[in-house]
Amino acid sequence: MPETRVLFENLDEPGLATMDVYRRRGGYSAIETAFRSTDPDDLIFQIEESGLRGRGGAGFSMGKKGSFLPRGDMEKYLCCNADESEPGTFKDRELMFKNPHALIEGIAISALAVGATYAFIFIRGEYWEVADVLDAAVAEAYEAGYLGQNILGSGWRVELVVHRGAGAYICGEETALLDSLEGKRGNPRLKPPFPAIQGLYGGPTLINNVETLMNVPLIVSKGPEWFKGMGTEQSTGTKVVSVSGCVQRPGNYEIELGMPSREIIYDLAGGPAKGRKVKVWFPGGSSAPVLTGDDLDLPYSFEAMADAGSMLGSGAIIVGDDTVSVPELALRTARFYHHESCGKCTPCREGTNWTVKMLERVVRGEATPMDLDIISSVQENIIGNCLCVLGDAMAMPVGSMVKKFRSEFEEAIAEARDAAPGPIDVAGADEPPLVLGATG
Amino acid sequence: MSKNAKEITLVVDGVEVPATEGAMLVDAAKGGDVEIPVFCYEPKLGGPVGACRMCLVEVEGIPKLQTACSTPVRDGMVVYTQTDRVQEAQNAVVEFLLVNHPLDCPVCDKGGECPLQDISMGWGAGRSRVTDPKRHFRKPVPLSPLVRIDRERCILCYRCVRFSQEVAEDEQLQLLERGSRSFVGTFDDRPYIAPFHGNIIELCPVGALTSEAYRFRARPWEIEDAGSVCTLCPSQCNVKFTVRDERVARVLCRDNEEVDDGWLCDKGRFGFQMFHSEDRMLGPMVRAGGALGKASWDESLSKAAAGLKAAGPRTAVLIGSQASNEEGYLLQRIARQALGSPHVDSRGGQGLKRETAISLSRPDLGAAMTDIDDAESILVIGTDPLHSMPILDLRLRKAMRDRGTRVAVVSERPTALDGGAEETLRYAPGDAATVLSNLAAELASSAGGEGGEDAERIAGALDPGNTVVIFGERIGHGPDGERALAALLACADALNLSAPGSGLIEVPETTNARGLREAGCLPAAGPGFAETGEGMGAEAIRDALEAGELAGLILWDVDPIRDLPDPATWKTALGAADFVLEVGMFGNASGGQADVFLPAESHAEKEGTVTHPDGRIQRLRPSVPHPGDTRHGWQWLAELAFRLGHETGIDSSVEALEAIAADVPFYAGLTHEEIGGTGIRWQERDEASAFPTAPSVQIRDTLSREITLGEERGDGEAASGSIRLGTYRDLWAYDVTERSPALRFLMPGQTLELSPADAERYEVSQGDQVNVRSNGHSLKATVAIRSRMRPGSGFLIEGLAEQGSNALAGAESVEIAKAEDPT
Repeated sequence: MPETRVLFENLDEPGLATMDVYRRRGGYSAIETAFRSTDPDDLIFQIEESGLRGRGGAGFSMGKKGSFLPRGDMEKYLCCNADESEPGTFKDRELMFKNPHALIEGIAISALAVGATYAFIFIRGEYWEVADVLDAAVAEAYEAGYLGQNILGSGWRVELVVHRGAGAYICGEETALLDSLEGKRGNPRLKPPFPAIQGLYGGPTLINNVETLMNVPLIVSKGPEWFKGMGTEQSTGTKVVSVSGCVQRPGNYEIELGMPSREIIYDLAGGPAKGRKVKVWFPGGSSAPVLTGDDLDLPYSFEAMADAGSMLGSGAIIVGDDTVSVPELALRTARFYHHESCGKCTPCREGTNWTVKMLERVVRGEATPMDLDIISSVQENIIGNCLCVLGDAMAMPVGSMVKKFRSEFEEAIAEARDAAPGPIDVAGADEPPLVLGATG
Repeated sequence: MSKNAKEITLVVDGVEVPATEGAMLVDAAKGGDVEIPVFCYEPKLGGPVGACRMCLVEVEGIPKLQTACSTPVRDGMVVYTQTDRVQEAQNAVVEFLLVNHPLDCPVCDKGGECPLQDISMGWGAGRSRVTDPKRHFRKPVPLSPLVRIDRERCILCYRCVRFSQEVAEDEQLQLLERGSRSFVGTFDDRPYIAPFHGNIIELCPVGALTSEAYRFRARPWEIEDAGSVCTLCPSQCNVKFTVRDERVARVLCRDNEEVDDGWLCDKGRFGFQMFHSEDRMLGPMVRAGGALGKASWDESLSKAAAGLKAAGPRTAVLIGSQASNEEGYLLQRIARQALGSPHVDSRGGQGLKRETAISLSRPDLGAAMTDIDDAESILVIGTDPLHSMPILDLRLRKAMRDRGTRVAVVSERPTALDGGAEETLRYAPGDAATVLSNLAAELASSAGGEGGEDAERIAGALDPGNTVVIFGERIGHGPDGERALAALLACADALNLSAPGSGLIEVPETTNARGLREAGCLPAAGPGFAETGEGMGAEAIRDALEAGELAGLILWDVDPIRDLPDPATWKTALGAADFVLEVGMFGNASGGQADVFLPAESHAEKEGTVTHPDGRIQRLRPSVPHPGDTRHGWQWLAELAFRLGHETGIDSSVEALEAIAADVPFYAGLTHEEIGGTGIRWQERDEASAFPTAPSVQIRDTLSREITLGEERGDGEAASGSIRLGTYRDLWAYDVTERSPALRFLMPGQTLELSPADAERYEVSQGDQVNVRSNGHSLKATVAIRSRMRPGSGFLIEGLAEQGSNALAGAESVEIAKAEDPT
């Protein structure tokens, strides 16, 4: 099955990032429909009807989320989460870089739908090039009257600001994003209250991913029925999948949801190098529990991935072939989350730290198979007990790796122990102690 | 919690528990005798943050475990706190907390009174599976001169950081770094210097933050707690003394929401070291052969009685800061009944008129501290609570932060509250009467604009019928004092402060000012503001002593040379007195003129009552035995009265209170039991109806328009090249700072505060040493430039042992010259 290019239609056309070309390709026609002739409640209804689910990771219905925002006259906000930091995910980067106006159009329509006056694009700081493109596009949109006061004579006002993040993974968590946007340390907030009720500066706030918002103009132009016609019953539409790792043609592919995973990995991305086979893969970014070579025939949809005990997440497939060491992969994964944990809640702060230390011992040959039980148990103790999902994001993949590849871990422990020189040293004894803080 | 909150029932571990709807589950569960462990939850710090995850419980109908600290209860909610699932989660959180905790309990100061120990034992699995190395930091480093931080023990609960950012709002403490590398610190490792920062020691649930004054001095099984009240300032915070070996080793909060909200300032927390000062006088002294020498109580009381008897009606009594109601009551009784002298004062200035005193104490005009929490608007006039009543500063901040209460600050000097205030107004030192008259005129006029622009601005921030007015006692001092108080009462009238939830709160100059006035320590009013002969106020007493019209003087815990205006005259006056009885803790108050010195108790030793500025009568309970040869004040005062031929019938502190209750109609029937541990506001007792009525203060005359007065004086222009000098009592400018080694570093040097414009005019800059000269007096000061200062005003600190500013108080023509470079 080939790609289904909807968001990707015309994507590689030179100059699509400019107002002229975007408009020539039918851009900003949805905003005309929305602002001139559509009732905001009807917009929400159309989005809900289309079955559009969030493309950032959680897969929550955008229409439903939008309907949670209170109606009435108050300061409401819209935040576009462009902090794309999930390892393996690089779809928003390409979408924004090549087609920024589609995002702006989606934001303006969504802001109208929920009654938000101020909208922000929170883009990760490392995407400085993309942010420049967005800044230029936003300026064009203001000039053309698609942003600002009295858009298209409708009386509605939408202000849009591109805000560059400072490089913390946690700021992709929606409430940490809000704190960071408010100028505070980006730590997640306690939920409830959910941002739809009390978000940015205490006002009701709609937060959606780039890809989600970019689907909105298409739904408005072509109708929810068209959108529903693609994908499966519970996973409608298309999805941009970032495929990386041990494949021959890594990159972004737009597929109709429900496509067999094997076709994405092998037909689109070219599969692993000749003579190798898929051993382990993350179906939805590094936070998703891993699947194995036996799971390749699963349809790539929200529900099929959930049934298989994993998740579609941000749609980032990371493939490991039979040369990949799963214990090393687990350590690499855990180190990332340990580095990015904000430290506010106990299970994540200490659990990621402890897991890294244990996995380091596994790789160094200073562990016993009993440590694998402790690693598994620690992951279970993290899952569901944290303030936000960052802890779970490490515990789920690491836990799944230890469970599904336990024999490999055991072999690795035995091999590393055999290879370790002499009696086992106390871990870290040769390193200088971490000394921080005041002297005296 | 709103007042009409619904009563509901929930089920905790199979037991029906009544609760208020919306209460947090962790609190509601206590009603069913279920304790849910917490680390980060502390309602004093504001809303829950759900960070430590210790309080996870199972709520029926919700798949994930919920944090009980942040789950509001609903009717019919079914909660499990003991299931396997919950226990596993609790065990897990304890295990996680111990991943990096050193478990050095045997050498940790917190051991034995440590929530982490208790919760680990109560809710942990009892063993840890952690074999990996823990994180290391340099062991305890100073976070400030008073607090040490051991970052290895820290469990990152955020409490101290939240206190700094959300309660004290000094925003100095931060969580630095991220994840398991996070640690508590300050920007650039600067010392955390702030007046309330000692509270973080008490908030810390582990031994990470320890007190410089307490660490390694006692273990929890060697100490006893004794509840009393701190009398170092008018806040009268409720405290717990930690007593070891009959000495106070530490001071902790004893939460009383109606007084202190559960916080202490650092003066109250560390000032206990003064009790053990080597300079403290621990026995009576009598002048013999020109010098004071040790004497027995019997001899000293005889000498005192003889000296006072000789002076008879020509005796005056000055009562200062920390006297209890009982002590004040007995002192005025000795003066009035044993000696026949009406000259009793407990205020520094000229005597307060009886009708004014009555009007200011009126029960309908009195606001309770908790009224601040619910008021729509607050007027702060003539005081900076941070310096004069520190805990009030935190309560005002809370109101502004949590409820958006509009606060208007009208003061001579910039205050700590300016930042969050809706409106601020600076007036020239001594001009309170003018400002208040204008404000009264503005508030009384229906059209507005009667009191001038400034008054209109302030009045605009105030909501009549829903306002608390906080005023400084000192607006009533000085030549315009009575006029200022009359105008204040006119404002109170216009703001309808008799409405429930509204009222006045005075920030007095001394701790027990209200109690002493009500117990009869005013020249014009006896106990309960009873009519008495017209006596002299402090200033008149000074002049009468100098002129030889008065012969005897009792100085109770007051140092006129250091604390009162015109120290030079006071020196002569004290020298001219035939007999001086000095009572104090340190024996230096009379400039060496005492004929008999009797030692005073500290507030940890005292037995009696004090009255909070809002009328709450609180009980001082002796927490430690008397050191040396000290005695209860009420005890020897009764004895002295007896030796003067006046039998009081008082043989116990209970009888002393009974005597007060018998003489003060609105204290009638008051007993120690009724006061209890948290005190009682007399305005809320039925006996408050016995409050005397007095001819109302003449307020009409003051309402004339005086808008131009300040301008006429020309202090804005200062064409004469001079500034108007004011003085203020800094939070730390007290002998408790000098006498407590831990606090000594906070003792301020004399500072001249100037506006940037004046600094430019005088060609001085920040940090310059200058000589300030006026009326033939001169002192040295360091220049501090304050941008929010009113041009034309300058400020010096009072109460300093050296370079005291009281010699210059009220000076109108001041010379400022750069001190010559000593090199």
